[in-house]
Amino acid sequence: MADDLSYLIPEITVLLTIVFALVAEMLRRPRIALVVTLIGLLLATGLTLPLLGADTTAFSGTYRIDALSVWAKLILLPATALSILMARSELGGSDREGTVYVLICLATMGALVLAGAGDTMLLVLGILLTGLSSFALVAYPRNDTATEAAMKFFVFASVTGAIMIFGLSYWFGGTGSTLLSELPRLETKPVIAAVGLIAVIVGLGYKASLVPFHFWAPDAYEGAPVSIAAYLSVIPKIGAILALAQVVRDLPINTGWPEVIAVVAVLTMTYGYLAALVQENVVRLLAYSSIAQAGYFLLGIVAMASSPIAIKSIIVFAAAYAAMNLGAFAIIMRTGQTLNKFSGVGRTHVVLGVVMAVFLLSLAGIPPLAGFVGKFLLFGATMDAGFTWLAVIAILNSVLSLAVYLRIVIPMYHESADDAVSATASMPLLTWVLGISFTFTVGIGLAAQLLLERLG
Amino acid sequence: MLPIVSLTVFLPLVGALLIMMLRKAPRPVVHAIGIITSGLTLLGALWMWSRGVNETGFAQIEQMDWMPAIGAAYRVGVDGISLPLVLLSALLFFLTFIYSAKVRERPHAFVVLLLLLETAAIGVFTALDAILFYVFFEVSLVSMYFMIAGWGHEDRQRAALMFFIYTLLGSLPLLLAILGMYLGSDPNTFDMRVWIDNPPLSGTAAMLALVAMLFTFAVKTPVFPFHTWLPAAHVQAPTAGSVILAGVMLKFGTYGLIRFALQMTPEAFRDAGIVILTFGVIAALYGAFAALAQSDLKRLIAYTSVNHMGYIVVGVAIAALALDPAIRATALDGSVLQMVSHGLVTGALFFLVGMLQDRAKTREMDQFGGLLKVVPILGWSFVLAAFASLGLPGLAHFPAEFQIFLATLQVEPVAIIVILGIVITAGLYLRAIGKIFLGEPREQWTGMSDLNTREVLTLGPLLILIIVVGIAPAWVLDVIHKTTAALQF
Repeated sequence: MADDLSYLIPEITVLLTIVFALVAEMLRRPRIALVVTLIGLLLATGLTLPLLGADTTAFSGTYRIDALSVWAKLILLPATALSILMARSELGGSDREGTVYVLICLATMGALVLAGAGDTMLLVLGILLTGLSSFALVAYPRNDTATEAAMKFFVFASVTGAIMIFGLSYWFGGTGSTLLSELPRLETKPVIAAVGLIAVIVGLGYKASLVPFHFWAPDAYEGAPVSIAAYLSVIPKIGAILALAQVVRDLPINTGWPEVIAVVAVLTMTYGYLAALVQENVVRLLAYSSIAQAGYFLLGIVAMASSPIAIKSIIVFAAAYAAMNLGAFAIIMRTGQTLNKFSGVGRTHVVLGVVMAVFLLSLAGIPPLAGFVGKFLLFGATMDAGFTWLAVIAILNSVLSLAVYLRIVIPMYHESADDAVSATASMPLLTWVLGISFTFTVGIGLAAQLLLERLG
Repeated sequence: MLPIVSLTVFLPLVGALLIMMLRKAPRPVVHAIGIITSGLTLLGALWMWSRGVNETGFAQIEQMDWMPAIGAAYRVGVDGISLPLVLLSALLFFLTFIYSAKVRERPHAFVVLLLLLETAAIGVFTALDAILFYVFFEVSLVSMYFMIAGWGHEDRQRAALMFFIYTLLGSLPLLLAILGMYLGSDPNTFDMRVWIDNPPLSGTAAMLALVAMLFTFAVKTPVFPFHTWLPAAHVQAPTAGSVILAGVMLKFGTYGLIRFALQMTPEAFRDAGIVILTFGVIAALYGAFAALAQSDLKRLIAYTSVNHMGYIVVGVAIAALALDPAIRATALDGSVLQMVSHGLVTGALFFLVGMLQDRAKTREMDQFGGLLKVVPILGWSFVLAAFASLGLPGLAHFPAEFQIFLATLQVEPVAIIVILGIVITAGLYLRAIGKIFLGEPREQWTGMSDLNTREVLTLGPLLILIIVVGIAPAWVLDVIHKTTAALQF
């Protein structure tokens, strides 16, 4: 028991952080809540480092301490801190500002639970924890669009969540246990395995915004504050993807899950980019792009059964995705949400333009940036697992993605619209966010070895 | 030992960073930094040349761990195929910087992009690690995209986008092939030397990888029917962009064809040799005929590039089909020398068209006439470069094309119909010279000024080299032959 708790020190730190921040907010001291959450998150990140290389479970196998869950902490906790900085520069000074930080930390907690889930009940717990906090975050501005977005989000989540729990009950019936490690027993019960698999894809697919369970994402992102959209597009998504990885690790391969997930991956990538092609609102565009990027994550999941580099590729891509996507959203906070706000930005704000171009080109997977390394490993893992056709489709989608991201880059270097970026008051916190995410977007590209080495 | 290859590759990048730091520097300083850095890079390339190449394998190798976990490393080095191209690139970039000293519009960004492009170009030719190669390959696309989109002519946005999407779509299959060869090698590595010594794939896998690579390099070269991006990009690109695009970047395609396709999947290449040969013949003839139909000078030269690059594809295919090592070496010697000659000649031609356009604001052949009397230096330079381009003996293209045709006759005599291309290009260049430079000068052009010092400095080295390579190609051929004679496949 004491051992179990020592494995959970990072999670416990986050929980304590949440409690202290909540107290500070109750005392109407949002600045203290901000400082507490930032310190708490960084402390938890630091406390995760000793766990690197661990491969064990806690609480009778229900919670996993392995590469996936440890790296989830190392990536998601700093990313959460960045999101909080973004939220501060967007929502700072508003009423009940501190609750935003608390809710963000709670949702992250849920994502961590998902990433370490070794038990179907923890999947449900993680989904609920991230879900409930996210609805409140989306509805935070309390205007019509935000309320509508949160409502859609909520209804969608309830339905998919119910389906997931329903399907998981089949697995419980088939194995007599809620533990994921008991799933191999389903090898002789293909129907039960399939029902549960579909239910899990629905439940986690909604959270990771996989097609066809993505409908809530563009509306929710558009209705929510930009910083919250940025947060939702990164942390809960990565949590859900890692949870899916935890599930398929134990699922017998005769259920055909690699093929099923491969099909979902194709749908998600292709639909996401096609829909992004016609968006005029940059937040919606990035929402669809983040749907498509979820499809790329699935390449790694598909390869989980047979390629030793699958886990590496998912983790590297998760780190890259967190840095570049948060960065791109942070730029939107400075420029504005419509495409025409971007025209001429590259000429009037040279540095801002270069930084945005780097984020977008990285999202498209152009070397030597982080996105390239991640996608490259994902393609490699997929081909290693014998899914060459999937890698080909993913590569074709990369071309499509370029058309999507160039829709933002090209107008940046048009001459015109001198009023375009007039609204960009300098935001010092945002500059930090941009600096950090830029460093990682370029750094992971050039020094991927540092990451790969520690992945073993 | 000084890591001179790495210095040569990354010097331009250092210059680019320097300019980015000096954001307030006035225009002349920025251009001076560009010229000095590329000049130093040229010295580096000359130094590499003086060190020479080995009888077998690669020389001047420099390596460093990068991502040992997946077998990727920073590895650079040269052999007789890449060294001449490195020197050519360094020279063309240096001259382009001299020519571009007139650029007034956003000079900082212009010079930075051009320097970035130089690092990428020299990097492509020296990389000995597939990942590194791919990184340089793609970085060159990004910089060229911004160059066309930012400083091109009327319809530049569309042309730039077409160029970018087309060549990116083209380069992705290469990524698949690289991954395939990585997974096929044992132990897994991205070391191109290992792949060349022991081709990692065989049978169907090798054929699939070859098809993927051929697609990439056919787009880049470009080979008919994958050439449609080229005229658009050339016409819209600024002069500096055109020179680099034609002089340096097209060679990525043919260099890749030899380095990757021929050397890493030799069996499959031999099996597909006839098909590749056919594509080369069609590209060469198509380029010549299409050029015949152009009235825009830049388009005309762009299409003659398709023609000249087609000869290289023919040469490489013949090398694969040849059973006799001597003939194979002849064909490859010709192909590599053709890359160098094409860089010199087409570089000079694009500079000349740019200079003409700077003065006349048009590139339509029909609008000119009698210019030889008005601007004799420009006129005679153009005549010399045009004669070189149509393959006149004593000028740069002749020794290259002669060797390719010689090998073709010995291996696959039917393919010699490709020689028709020479007749057609001769006709179209004579027509262009007649229209633009002969006859009585039109009144509107009588005030045109001849080349100034900057322009003479830009053109002079190219014209001299065109003659030198034409008359005495041995100093280049010896380097090339050292490697091609020892190739085993």
